[in-house]
Amino acid sequence: MEVVGELKTAREMGLVGCTRCSRVSPMGTQYCPRCGSALQSRDGLSLQKVWAWWLVGLMCYVPANLYPMLETRTLVSTESNTIVGGAVELAQHGNWGVALIILAASVLIPVAKFVLIAGLAIGVWRGPQVSGQRRHFLYEVVEYIGRWSMIDVFVVAILSALVQLQALASITPGRASLFFALSVIFTMLSAQSFDSRLIWDTQRRGDAPDHGLASDDVRKESSA
Amino acid sequence: MTSVDPTPPEAPVKEAGQNLFQRFTFVWIVPIIALLTVFGIAIQNYLERGPLVEISFENASGVKPGTTEVRFRDVVVGLVEDVGFTDGLGRVLVSARLDKDVAPYVDSSAQFWVVRPQVSTQGVSGLNTVLSGVYIEGVWDDQPEGMQPRFEGLPDAPLESLGEDGLRLTLRAAGKTTLTPNAPILYRGITVGRLGKTRISPDGVAAEAEALIFKPHDRLVSSATRFWDTSGFSFSLGPSGAVLDFSSVASLVSGGVTFETMVSGGTPVERGTSFVVHPDEGTARSSIFAADDGERVTLSAVFDENVSGLAVDAPVELNGLRIGEVTALSGLVDPDVFGDNRVRLVVTLSIRPSLLGLEGEDGADTALNFIRQRVSDGLRARLATASILTGGLKVELVDVPDAPPARLESGEADVLYIPTTESDIADVSATAQGVFERINALPVEEVMEQAITLMENANNLITSDDIRAVPENLNGLLGDARGIVNSDDIQALPERLNAVVTELQATVTRLNEQDTVTRLTAAVDSASEAAEGVSSAVAGIPDLVERLNAVAAKAETVEIDTLAAEFTDLLQTTESLLASDAARQLPEKLNGALAELGAVLEQLREGGVVENATSALASASEAADTVADAGRELPDLIAQARGVLARANATLEGYEASNGIGRDARAALIEVQKAAKAVASLARAIERNPNSLLTGR
Repeated sequence: MEVVGELKTAREMGLVGCTRCSRVSPMGTQYCPRCGSALQSRDGLSLQKVWAWWLVGLMCYVPANLYPMLETRTLVSTESNTIVGGAVELAQHGNWGVALIILAASVLIPVAKFVLIAGLAIGVWRGPQVSGQRRHFLYEVVEYIGRWSMIDVFVVAILSALVQLQALASITPGRASLFFALSVIFTMLSAQSFDSRLIWDTQRRGDAPDHGLASDDVRKESSA
Repeated sequence: MTSVDPTPPEAPVKEAGQNLFQRFTFVWIVPIIALLTVFGIAIQNYLERGPLVEISFENASGVKPGTTEVRFRDVVVGLVEDVGFTDGLGRVLVSARLDKDVAPYVDSSAQFWVVRPQVSTQGVSGLNTVLSGVYIEGVWDDQPEGMQPRFEGLPDAPLESLGEDGLRLTLRAAGKTTLTPNAPILYRGITVGRLGKTRISPDGVAAEAEALIFKPHDRLVSSATRFWDTSGFSFSLGPSGAVLDFSSVASLVSGGVTFETMVSGGTPVERGTSFVVHPDEGTARSSIFAADDGERVTLSAVFDENVSGLAVDAPVELNGLRIGEVTALSGLVDPDVFGDNRVRLVVTLSIRPSLLGLEGEDGADTALNFIRQRVSDGLRARLATASILTGGLKVELVDVPDAPPARLESGEADVLYIPTTESDIADVSATAQGVFERINALPVEEVMEQAITLMENANNLITSDDIRAVPENLNGLLGDARGIVNSDDIQALPERLNAVVTELQATVTRLNEQDTVTRLTAAVDSASEAAEGVSSAVAGIPDLVERLNAVAAKAETVEIDTLAAEFTDLLQTTESLLASDAARQLPEKLNGALAELGAVLEQLREGGVVENATSALASASEAADTVADAGRELPDLIAQARGVLARANATLEGYEASNGIGRDARAALIEVQKAAKAVASLARAIERNPNSLLTGR
């Protein structure tokens, strides 16, 4: 926070950084002289991508919660539980810990991801309510934690592979597991699509709204 | 703070929105595809959605909307969507969404029921529903005839629930037979069918059950097939020992019905044919020759007599034909109707119309009308003896010619009373008693005593040594006789006989020469005249018969008793004679006589018996000559015969005058007695001197 005044973005310095090899080239360079990848000071379509992936991820998250996640067939019965249903059942049986873990991994984290990504995108678009550093931290968290949502899918995959005792007992992944995996993948894609450099731009502009497409007004520095 | 370089190089800025692809990211395709997929699937699902059927159930315990499946041959073909009530809350209405493919088959033939776990003696069924929950099973045929939207659910699984096709029959339990629901139908120990739900027949007299004989075993059933109950066991104690009989432990517990085609020539039966289940195999076998138990006509009869001997199951007969049984006996006291306080016998008769040859649906009504008609013509019920030995009674329906008019009355509670008439009960006991009394009165013991003494005497006689010596003497006698036969003289006898015959032939020839025929004709004429005389004599015979009758009448008045007494005396005399020592010694003397006879025969052989015989034959020849002479005198003889006949006639007439035959008979009896006494004295004489028998003195 205390470095706000001195901090200058590469764009402000008339430079463009390579997102691949981190080499900084002068603004206007089309391709990175070191790795040859296309250089772009700001991804103008970043927010579009974020929203698109985010939307698909959300769409997949709905059936992931409606359909059963796990189908357990034993000799006499067939049981299938949705994510929330399974957690509630576990809680009713007294396994509060497991229920909480499942709820955290399968409900809390994905929902938090959706909310955070949407918040970041809205922050870029409409202007931030929180400081840029916090937003950047949140972005890092989203990026980091996104892959851990797959823990549910892993559990299902491992159980399905282990418990295949023919007629005696078998566990098969339910329809929801596929949707849940897709949802996680799409939210990760959504998070990756987010061009975190946009945070800096809005940070510079203070409360000014920015739809992300226009990258002008760079010169309008907040001198404080 | 100082700004280091306030003017960085101008950043090249791309112009936004040259074209669509540059203005929008391709990533938008992904959510669009996702949305399209979702809508596509939704539309497809909606279009492929099957129709909704409503099934009403008595109760829907365990049926959950969204969970309970509709199954056909254990494959899910639908899902229950809603559970509600019919109008008025009378039944539970279950709405189920069926698959589109099977919907056309769910036509009017479809049946639905809820499968629940069941534990019965036949086993456990629907066990899988214990944990998975109930489901609705449906069954329908393979003809798509258009879907029906509403169905009545069955309370239990129908017979065809297993999808097994076959012959449907109705079984009626007769007598004490019990039908167990869902019991197996066995044929030689193999399950070939199943009973359905049991119920009481509409007429209320028997239990009925639907039965299904699975294909291809349905060809085993024909009109000559009889069913019987194999449940339970029978224990019998007979000449072959104790017999415990049951067909299988399974049917012992769960009950069962088996069948067999008893005689050949049965015709195939149609679906829904009714059969009777008999209590055991024996009854079933015997029933093949008896009419089936059909509907029955129940009548009552009130008998004035209270006669023991009538029992339940006693036959009811019409013209000697058994048409039913007595099913109940009870007493009746009704002073208002009968005018006294006596107990009357009320007999309930069960009449089988099939035994009257009145079969079919309205056999009972036809039989009732028939009996009504006959009653107005004079048909009455009466008790009759069924068995002389046991004194058992039966009920007979007989035509009474001058019966007072009566009709089939219906009394209380629609009981039909048939009028009765006097019973026809033979008093066997009285007759038999009379017979026994007479047998008792016979002097058996005296007769026996006399017989015993007679036997004793005969025994003494036979066992005496003299009698034993008789065969030896006889042997000697026979030897002597053989000696005589073998002598040369006897051998020469045939030749001489031949000569005699030759002479006889000559004599006959001579007779022929002497105009015998004419004489014979004359003789026949005379005989004819004589016959006429006889016929005139015969004319008087009727009178004679009358007189004889009169004589006989008098003879009846003769004191037979006296006569009998004298006979008795005679018998006693004879007995004492036989008992006398002299009689016992008789054999000994006979022996002596036989010995003497042997001596005589010896003498005869020594003497010229054969020569004497030859001379005798010569005399015979002469006699033949005399016969020839006599033939000439035949007419005279015939004339004499006429005279004799005339005299016989006169004698017959003379009988008319004499009517003292009784007296004569008595005199004759006295003479018989004298003769008997003379025999006695003769016997004594013989005893004194047995040789006189042979010597003639």
